[in-house]
Amino acid sequence: MTTASGPFDPDDVTWTPVSFRLAHARLTVTAIVVVVGFAVTVPFALLVGAAWAWAPAAVVAALGLWAALLITRQVRAIAYAERVDDLLIRKGILFRSLVVVPYGRMQYVDVTAGPLARQFGIASVQLHTAAVGTNATIGGLPPQEAARLRDRLASRGEARLAGL
Amino acid sequence: MSTPVPGVPASATDPRAPEVAWRRMHPITPALKGWKALIALLAIVAYNMTDNIRNIGELMQDGRWRYVVAVVLAIAAVGFAYATIAWRVTKFVVDDEAVHLHTGVLFRQQRQARLDRLQAVDIVQPLLARLTGLAELRLEVAGGTGSAVSLAFLRESDAEALRAELLARAAGIRVRPDEAPAARAPEQPVFEVPMPRMLASTLRSSTTGWFVVFAVVIVASVVATRQIAPVFTLVPALLGVGGAMWTRVNQGANFRAAISPDGIRLRHGLTEARAQTVPPGRVQALRFTQGPLWRGPDWWRVEMNVAGYGGEKNQQTENVLLPVGTREEALLALWLVLPDLQVDDPRALLAAALAGSGEAGGFTSVPRRARLLDLVGWRRRGFLVTDRALFVRYGRIVRHLVVVPHERTQSLALKQGPIQRTLRVASIDVHSTAGPVHPMVEHLDQDVAAALLDEQTERARTARAGAGPEQWMRRPEAS
Repeated sequence: MTTASGPFDPDDVTWTPVSFRLAHARLTVTAIVVVVGFAVTVPFALLVGAAWAWAPAAVVAALGLWAALLITRQVRAIAYAERVDDLLIRKGILFRSLVVVPYGRMQYVDVTAGPLARQFGIASVQLHTAAVGTNATIGGLPPQEAARLRDRLASRGEARLAGL
Repeated sequence: MSTPVPGVPASATDPRAPEVAWRRMHPITPALKGWKALIALLAIVAYNMTDNIRNIGELMQDGRWRYVVAVVLAIAAVGFAYATIAWRVTKFVVDDEAVHLHTGVLFRQQRQARLDRLQAVDIVQPLLARLTGLAELRLEVAGGTGSAVSLAFLRESDAEALRAELLARAAGIRVRPDEAPAARAPEQPVFEVPMPRMLASTLRSSTTGWFVVFAVVIVASVVATRQIAPVFTLVPALLGVGGAMWTRVNQGANFRAAISPDGIRLRHGLTEARAQTVPPGRVQALRFTQGPLWRGPDWWRVEMNVAGYGGEKNQQTENVLLPVGTREEALLALWLVLPDLQVDDPRALLAAALAGSGEAGGFTSVPRRARLLDLVGWRRRGFLVTDRALFVRYGRIVRHLVVVPHERTQSLALKQGPIQRTLRVASIDVHSTAGPVHPMVEHLDQDVAAALLDEQTERARTARAGAGPEQWMRRPEAS
């Protein structure tokens, strides 16, 4: 992101963006929701026949369009970076966050891929520390990259493993 | 770590040779645990019947009470029978690496808790167990809710001996079976909370405040509408407040803290006695709290995060390091957790951290433009980094101070919402294990926040590298 200068863009960090296929997957979900929304609102409008009855359908269309625009921007904002001792994850446009997870604090790593994600050829990697608040998920990684990251994180975590 | 092996006797799947001496719980255990089924039933009945007292009256007519008594007796019998079978299949053994516990009647469970992952050892005595001289030993390992190993019930002296043995083994002292059992580590009393102060502090807590506000509203409405009905809503409110106060007093009563080579020892409880031992380096974060009514006597409440103590239900019980204490005792509580604070004047530091505001005492405060986000308390918001820990200060009406030792930082996050962005401020989340303390430094200047994030990551790393070993009596390996 061009706006991400300052606190969310530390020096000497090269960010790796996530696959844009994540946006495709999320857009598909949005499309399904919009179709379902139309399936309810359009017959309603046709049955009533008045002009105002099209308002719900218009709302659905507007929300869908807004979500579509948001999703592409959001996905472009997600990026991660592997540093020597920790992993950085950056996300968000309106509510921005930058999470730093030291490798030595990792308890376990999850790699998950739902049916839709598999269809689009992406997987997500989630890091767990002993803290419940650690929200370190990288969605939208190509499977081989997810596997590579998982192994890399596991080996680095082992090398720097400490207690709690 | 649990492996349910349904239908197979525990001994058949036990890969370990029969030379290990399995130990059993005390034979009175079923008599103490069998009541649970009955109490659960009574609770359900009472919950459903409180609305309709007439129902109970109807039940008692026409000799139907006999059926009621029969049902109660039957359920009690089932409860006791189940508890007896459960006791028969429950056994445990302690070796150098772990505690092995086999439980379960229908679903067998074999749990193995690694002693080097031990976070705390508690001896809990509910009222009934206390009367019979028994105790429950609970081992907390950092595995989230329900991960504790509970050995219930043992004879009190056995529980204490076992605790000493477990702590010695967890500390890295090897015990051979032919040697004398591990001696109890000597302990040094640090502070205790007198009962009058406990009662007074409970009366001055927010619970009372809310009740008074509620009562005033109700009385005002009665006077205004000239109807007496609203008064009756005061009764459940009073019961609720009374219950909350009782819980607080009950758990904080006879509170004593001591320090021993095995770590912090806490003893408390009026009906249910609890003796907690938290080994060195197991406290993940601390929070000091002072409500407005505690300001006069300068009382503080100190809570802690310990991995394994995370359960929501027991936060009031297990996570309290000091239920109410003077500032001097608050300092002692801090010293219990961080004996080597490495500052010149800990008293001055604590004074600035607990009651100060602005830049006094070396704190970094939030910029003036952030006042829009916290009109009341923005002057108090601030943080201070020492060699050992991060101090976060916030709250003006209810004062808070959060302390996180650097080596206990799990992960960090920098956050910024849209309003914060226009004000060029940002917040830092310091992730800690589950518990009452959620360390957060909010509304810092965004460049200060970014610098803090960077430095704190670095500090956490160095502190961890220099931290003592998990087995605290082992000498750190020379490096």
